[in-house]
Amino acid sequence: MKKTLKYVLASAILVGTLGSLSSCKGYKRDFSGKYTYNTYTEVSPSNWNELSYQDNNDTQIMSYIGSSFFQFDYKFDKDGVPVPGQFEVTYGAATKLEDVTEEYAGDEKYSVPAEATNGYAYKITLRNDLKWDDGTAITADDFVYTMKEQLNPLFKHYRADSYYNGSTVIHNARNYVYQGSKVTQGAELKHKTWAEGKQDPALKFDLTNSSMGSWLWGKYGDAAKAKGPAWVLTQLGCTAAQADIEALVGKTPAEIEANATLKAAFDAVVTFWKSEPEEELTLFSYEHEYPAMDFSAVGIFTGAKDNELYLVLDNPLELLKEDGSLSYKAAYNMSSLPLVKKDLFEANKVAPVEGSKLWTSTYNSSVASTASWGPYKLSTFQSGKEYTLERNTNWYGYGLKENDKKYQTSRIVCKTIKEWNTAWLAFQKGELDSIGIDVSIASEYKNSSQAIFTPDDYVGSMQIQSDANALKAREKEGVNKTILTDVRFRKAISLAVDRDEYNRTCTTSSKPGFGLFNSMHYYDVENGGVYRNEEVAKKVLCEVYGVDVTKYASIDEAAAAVTGYDPAQAKQLVTEAYNEALTAGTIKATDKVVITFGTGADNEATRRVFDYLSKALKAMVVGTPLEGRLETEFEDHGSKWADDFRSGAYDICTGGWQGAAWDPGYFLLAYLSPDYMYSTAWETDKVQLTHTVLGEEYTMSLMEWYNCLNGVEGSKHNWAEGQVENEVRLGIIAAIEKEILSVYYTVPLQNHFTAALKSYKSDYISRDYNTFMAYGGIEYLTYAYDDAEWEEYCKNNTLDYKQ
Amino acid sequence: MYMFKYILKRLGLMIMTFLIIFLISFVLIKLLPIVVNVTIGQDKEIIEATLRARGYYDPIPVQLVNYIKRIFHGDFGVGVNLPEYRNKPVWDVFVEKLPPTVLINVYSTLFSVPLGIALGIFAALKKNRWQDHLISTGVMIFISVPSIVTAFLVQYIFCFKLNWFPLMMNSGFDYFSGSMFRSMMPAVIAMSFGSICGYARFTRAELTEVLTSDFMLLARTKGLTRGQATLHHALKNAMVPIFPSIVGEFVSVLSGSLIIEKIFSIPGVGGLYLDSINYQDYDFFMMLSCFYILIGLAASIVIDLSYGFIDPRIRMGAK
Repeated sequence: MKKTLKYVLASAILVGTLGSLSSCKGYKRDFSGKYTYNTYTEVSPSNWNELSYQDNNDTQIMSYIGSSFFQFDYKFDKDGVPVPGQFEVTYGAATKLEDVTEEYAGDEKYSVPAEATNGYAYKITLRNDLKWDDGTAITADDFVYTMKEQLNPLFKHYRADSYYNGSTVIHNARNYVYQGSKVTQGAELKHKTWAEGKQDPALKFDLTNSSMGSWLWGKYGDAAKAKGPAWVLTQLGCTAAQADIEALVGKTPAEIEANATLKAAFDAVVTFWKSEPEEELTLFSYEHEYPAMDFSAVGIFTGAKDNELYLVLDNPLELLKEDGSLSYKAAYNMSSLPLVKKDLFEANKVAPVEGSKLWTSTYNSSVASTASWGPYKLSTFQSGKEYTLERNTNWYGYGLKENDKKYQTSRIVCKTIKEWNTAWLAFQKGELDSIGIDVSIASEYKNSSQAIFTPDDYVGSMQIQSDANALKAREKEGVNKTILTDVRFRKAISLAVDRDEYNRTCTTSSKPGFGLFNSMHYYDVENGGVYRNEEVAKKVLCEVYGVDVTKYASIDEAAAAVTGYDPAQAKQLVTEAYNEALTAGTIKATDKVVITFGTGADNEATRRVFDYLSKALKAMVVGTPLEGRLETEFEDHGSKWADDFRSGAYDICTGGWQGAAWDPGYFLLAYLSPDYMYSTAWETDKVQLTHTVLGEEYTMSLMEWYNCLNGVEGSKHNWAEGQVENEVRLGIIAAIEKEILSVYYTVPLQNHFTAALKSYKSDYISRDYNTFMAYGGIEYLTYAYDDAEWEEYCKNNTLDYKQ
Repeated sequence: MYMFKYILKRLGLMIMTFLIIFLISFVLIKLLPIVVNVTIGQDKEIIEATLRARGYYDPIPVQLVNYIKRIFHGDFGVGVNLPEYRNKPVWDVFVEKLPPTVLINVYSTLFSVPLGIALGIFAALKKNRWQDHLISTGVMIFISVPSIVTAFLVQYIFCFKLNWFPLMMNSGFDYFSGSMFRSMMPAVIAMSFGSICGYARFTRAELTEVLTSDFMLLARTKGLTRGQATLHHALKNAMVPIFPSIVGEFVSVLSGSLIIEKIFSIPGVGGLYLDSINYQDYDFFMMLSCFYILIGLAASIVIDLSYGFIDPRIRMGAK
């Protein structure tokens, strides 16, 4: 008996000790209390309608009121601790995913290739207990209805292109959206050969909508607008007279052929333009009218049962691994399909107003117009002030055993606070559970135990003007700008910036950036292949920044030695560039170099960046012939800062890109396409790159390499994902990255990190950032105090986050 | 009768002025190039098709006619580009956001007008004595300090350190509850500093001048006490320029204060007009332009008429 008592006492002590320990750690997986997560936003959401949302502000609410078919989750070790960097994909609102491509292979209705065996058609089986927050059942038909509305041509929803313009291309989605509309498009979309095209009376010579026209306007839009695209062509070297080129516009190939003057002008344009066979087609366009069509022709429909949803795609997507388990793409590309509540959506349709033909919707823009099928539902919303979400008791997930210890948060309150200082005071009073660390408090708080540093895929760069004509046009007496056209001068600028100091001075927590991609960019997601960690990517940085790999024991050491800062070499390059310019007469011995720094706002942060870069540039010319002759000036270009830079209005800006972190090959588009790149005058369709692929050496323009890498229709090769080994693609990405970095129009400075302070009230499941799960989100958030306890704690204690 | 004719004339001129400014505003905002924001991988054609369907590429006169037709149907349009108000009827947004702005400004005016005038009178009566110097120094300090600093100080001292008030205005629409009133107080206090100082300085200057006038000497020599002369003669004359400035302040009551609303998280209209221009949100811009032009013009008539009420010698429209 005594022995038993001892065991009981020992057990009680052990349980008590563990209990108090766990309480010390702040984990209280207890759902009895009220656990409110208090957060804030600078911009209140306004339109959390999945069909038409436009920015991240709107996704704040969307992420709580929707569910996923397939979702990322932590991979836990045997002790229940998340394994760093690992993930698994699990079923959520769906219970089964089947690849049914073979059933539709060769089916003309859906244009699935006859030889296709996988990736084109899927059957998704939904859970039977899916419900809206009011208890209405959700079936597969609701998803079909929603997709019909998503692609409704009357609305032209902002997110419609998610289902025809990206990697998830639902069969006929584009045709359904565009039905009835007329578009003018390049003749090469209609004909493969010029011999065939020149017989077509529908083709018209076009300096606006043809491929050449798009190129022309993309690069010389302002000049084309002012003096006409024909004038621009003559300035670029086309030998035909402007009037003769203008006379070609609107003429068919036959009309041109029949008129000697037109034919001569046409031949001159072709001589100027053509570098590839059949490129005559790219000078013509035709008007295409999308025919009316029924939604039954679109590749989404229900199965025999209420919960069976079928999807037929134009491009294959490997949502399943060979063993039948879910691939990462299931959670990435097919996490869910949009879903609206039919009766509410219909009630919130708004007919076009006078002078407009566009239908709009107020669905999901207020409490009354919002329906939830996710873990939380919207309970209050005051625009520009606050919104509140509470548990949606009809969510299927609360009945699942695996969620027993998740979703401790019972309420989410998000205030709109536009002023950071106000948010900071609120955080210190315990009214907010986290806050971004502003640069003004960074030095005091960045070592706090509550500081969280989150990497992201944004790479901030200094962009240097590439348009020599624009630089020349802005030169004045005694002022030189064209020295920026010398790659040595641009390289000198790159080497003159101490990226480490730059980030410490100008950012809260960002780290020096050297390449177009950072540690968040995966070239092989399934196997955890981070681009920047690969040898070939490290070599790119070493070569671009002049680090001799042979002097280091390993490529890792060499890459670690890259600082991007070499003032001595920068001075030497400045001197070389200057001397050559002086000899060539493009700069005078008395000229000043004035570099104009443009921004989107004139505020403390942009001034800090300007001051730092000014200091670096002025230091760069000390000891060179340009000493004391380099000046900088600041210009605020407002919301059009990027467009102004692209059109050559100023010399330097800081700007970068973020997105497609798991597809760096695709994301190269940002640095290569005139539609997006900052250095629009850099002709990526003419710059040649030689690289070896699968043992064979190819020389192509950068754009052609890009097209091959992404399997763009009409490209010479298809080296898209799934077509060749990831290692092959890795090599191509690295070669293109090196080429882009080597011209120094884009000079990476910063790998973006955000820093935040977390209150003592709640905590994440893990402080290790996981690309797939971040810190676990609201799902895994745990609380050390319930609301009443926290209020009491804040009343009696001063919250100190410096430790 | 001449007053009635004068008012009619002013109203006619007001309508004409309104139409001219309305037309200029519409044409100018429509002359700005249409910005098509396309992210990587997005279908630019559909974005442009949306703008075309909204009629943004129609000739400006056609757009103007359509806009006027819409206004006559009571439809001011919906937000398109302003991130916080996309797809929301612009009039509804404005009406929803106007009460907090008006209340804060009205409370501030009610608080600052009597206090400012009282301080001004006191300073004028104690001219060149230590009380006057003290008030004048205070006035100079608070007029010189930007409102952003005053607002932060109020927030830090009264809300954060002393815990007298919440840091931000309460959420919800119960604008007349005690708790809401308390939460508005920091903004009201921060807003009042400038107004109090303005009225105090203005009143002091006007009253000082009047107090040294010959008619005041005459009033005193006729046997009136200093208080009687000040109250019945000096103050009445000094109020002629002061009162219209109070009326004028009501115009700003409707436009709000960008800085104060930002700091105290007031869901008001401050900044809405500026944002509508920055984001090129046509419907917001035009609705707000119409509203503020009308209010401004109406206020100018009221101010002009108010001179006659304060000083019967001033006859509007009389020859």
